[in-house]
Amino acid sequence: MTGPLLRVAALSKRFGATRALTDVDLEVAPGEIHALIGPNGSGKSTLIKILAGYHHAEPGAVAELDGEPFDLSQVAASRHDRLRFVHQELGLVGELSAVDNLALRHGFARTAFGNIDWPEMERRTHALVERFGLGIDVRRPLAAATPVQRTVVAIAAALQGWEGRRGVLVLDEPTAVLPPGEVARLFDIVREVRAAGAGVLYVSHRMDEIFALADRVTVIRGGRRIATRPVADLTPRSLAALMAGEEMDTDHRPPSSPATGDPVLEVRDLWAGPLRGVGFDLARGERLGVTGLVGSGHEIVPYAVCGAHTGRVNGRLRLTERSTRWTEARDARALGLPLVPADRAAEGVIGDFSVGENLTLPLLDRLRTRSGRLRRRREATLTEDWINRVDVRTAGRTARITTLSGGNQQKVVMARCLAQRPPVLTLCEPTAGVDIATRLQLYDLIERQADQGTGVLVSSSDTQDLLALCTRVLVVRDGRIARELSGPDITESTLVHAMEGTE
Amino acid sequence: MTSVPTRVKTTLSFRTIGAVYVWLAIVVLFSVWAPDTFPTAVTVKQVLNGNAVAGLVALSVVPPLAARVFDLSVAYTMSLTSVLTAHFLVSTGLGPFTAIALAMAAALLVGVVNALVVVVLRVDSFIATLATGALIQSLITMVTNDSSITGVQLLAKPFASIAQLDAGGITLPVLYLLLAALAIWFVLEHTATGRRLYATGFNADAARLQGVRTDRLRFATLVASALLSGFAGVVFASSVGSGSPTAGSPYLLSAYAAAFVGATQLRAGRFNAWGTVIAVLLLGTGITGLGLATSAQWAASLFTGSVLIVALVLTGGRIAVPTVLRRRAGKLPGPAQPEGSTDDESRAVPAGGTRA
Repeated sequence: MTGPLLRVAALSKRFGATRALTDVDLEVAPGEIHALIGPNGSGKSTLIKILAGYHHAEPGAVAELDGEPFDLSQVAASRHDRLRFVHQELGLVGELSAVDNLALRHGFARTAFGNIDWPEMERRTHALVERFGLGIDVRRPLAAATPVQRTVVAIAAALQGWEGRRGVLVLDEPTAVLPPGEVARLFDIVREVRAAGAGVLYVSHRMDEIFALADRVTVIRGGRRIATRPVADLTPRSLAALMAGEEMDTDHRPPSSPATGDPVLEVRDLWAGPLRGVGFDLARGERLGVTGLVGSGHEIVPYAVCGAHTGRVNGRLRLTERSTRWTEARDARALGLPLVPADRAAEGVIGDFSVGENLTLPLLDRLRTRSGRLRRRREATLTEDWINRVDVRTAGRTARITTLSGGNQQKVVMARCLAQRPPVLTLCEPTAGVDIATRLQLYDLIERQADQGTGVLVSSSDTQDLLALCTRVLVVRDGRIARELSGPDITESTLVHAMEGTE
Repeated sequence: MTSVPTRVKTTLSFRTIGAVYVWLAIVVLFSVWAPDTFPTAVTVKQVLNGNAVAGLVALSVVPPLAARVFDLSVAYTMSLTSVLTAHFLVSTGLGPFTAIALAMAAALLVGVVNALVVVVLRVDSFIATLATGALIQSLITMVTNDSSITGVQLLAKPFASIAQLDAGGITLPVLYLLLAALAIWFVLEHTATGRRLYATGFNADAARLQGVRTDRLRFATLVASALLSGFAGVVFASSVGSGSPTAGSPYLLSAYAAAFVGATQLRAGRFNAWGTVIAVLLLGTGITGLGLATSAQWAASLFTGSVLIVALVLTGGRIAVPTVLRRRAGKLPGPAQPEGSTDDESRAVPAGGTRA
């Protein structure tokens, strides 16, 4: 056995005041599938982006590929010819065929006249993809191919020009976009890559995949490497314990008394996207969390409740203080519940609008005269009032919203919802991209709102949100509520075990 | 609250009303270049009267553009109403009011068809209105056989007055332009509808989540642009006394040039009424001046094109391009990223944080 194919040591990375990675070590041996696992926000993606040359590491990091050192501390177009990446989005052009996609990376074969030698191109592409089976038609646009076929083309594109040499293939959550039935075929392909003597760095946050596929696993959490172990030495429980950091549970602040009021929102038999029949009651003043792994469907719950889910929705909802009648979930928009959406830039704020214009957008009906003219002065007062109430740090209400930090933008989004005085506040990933200080302010704001009797429904894949906020948490797995935790039972480890299904 | 002097400074800054300064510079330039012909009352009237119709067409594309909808059929709609008005007056012998009402009804129909194709059938507006423009052109050819419709009825009093009545040499269309600009300015700046239109244009998804009925607004803007450009066609027929099958064509580029230059003025990044009017006058003055100074045929288009490019460069491409040209390649269909997924990097763990 020779030395490791890829060795990284003492890798650190800061973004401003936050430390994304601290002294991370990683080794990938030849013929090894090495899994990298960790919860959201643990630093997995940052690590991969540094390896890919998208971010640069802090000085002092060491990196070697097959014994040759290479530099991580500067941003480069591509790190190393033998370090190949398949990113989650695959990086393919859907309108083009497999032949074209492969050629985009490594050039076209030409005839003596300089035009493209299509038969040769097809032969080459065929040779690259055929060993994976699947019967891919290399001439058809990839948009018509199945997800696993596209993944295979991405892997083939990453591997081309690599035959016979040893390198490392990095797969970043390749199963995130695959239907469950096709995951096993992808695993066969990854094993084939390993059999050729390459190293594979497999990034995932699904434990079942680690046990099905990997030889060794490195767990990172909070930007630090927690452990590197052979998978054979681990059980799902012990791996979950490493991921969750059992010993960290002590500093969880005691949740205030669970709300016992009457239900303010009742949801029954909700079907949307991956959700299959989810139902729950939300009490007045309750702070109810919904969580699960990415793709479990938990993130759809707030959208469906607010009538903002774009796909088909089935089920029934009732806002008890409005009516005793049930509303069909597909008409949920009529209930008018405001939503703090997950993707602030795409769905939350209007980047070209000022702070004030963003804040009052859903309130305009309240701000006009009978003739339809906007009451500018009243709008200004309302905006100033909310800026003060939720403590938005801004140059003023006329400042463009994009000049604010993510956290302050989120406060504006939140204020906009609260100004509608909703009976239920629905939030999706409320602290995504928010710094720690603002995060605490947001928690405080939500808590105060709940204390005034508002029901809070928050979907988050960030356990910190759930620990800090929720009096009860529903864990969604494969579209169903797999577990309900409340009060002192909500801990990092119970949450992670419930998400992964390893109780 | 900003103080009054600061506000005055901002309002008069080059960033806010740069086009006005450029316009003044042009006036000075041509006054020196063609001192006998340019700085005269005749030129002022010529610029105002000669650009009123162009201004109406330019204003007609402002509401759709505010909602990021391109209506490229406005020039054809203008030709259509000019031709139909003339046709009903001359060939059918209807009274002027009936003729105008019928022509405007046709414009309304065009607007509804545009809106159906763009909003209901979800075809990109850039391509859709190009296509409906071709349909309108075929209708025009059907009515006219590709030749202008002329007749004494078009020159007779009540109809000719629409565009030719004047006070001190300034004709009625200048008033129409001011009224249209006033109306569009009021709706965009001072009503909830205007705010929602801009929200729709800037980020339709976010607007929809805030309860803005984006489809309904887009529908309305396409109907409005057809009606306003249709009205411009009626005014055109009255002012030249004929219905021309190609009346609108020269106005398309200048309308979009004015709207885009206008969007760099007053409310930078927002298509707005007064900015558009300023841009129409700037372009009109420059073209008139070039005509007087050089009498070169090619000068007009050269000037329009250059002003447009310079204005857009100065704003750093902050103004929208059609979605069809902007569509990102490489996005594969198939299972989309769930809404809840977030980037690891965006939630990097804070220093000293213990939990992930």
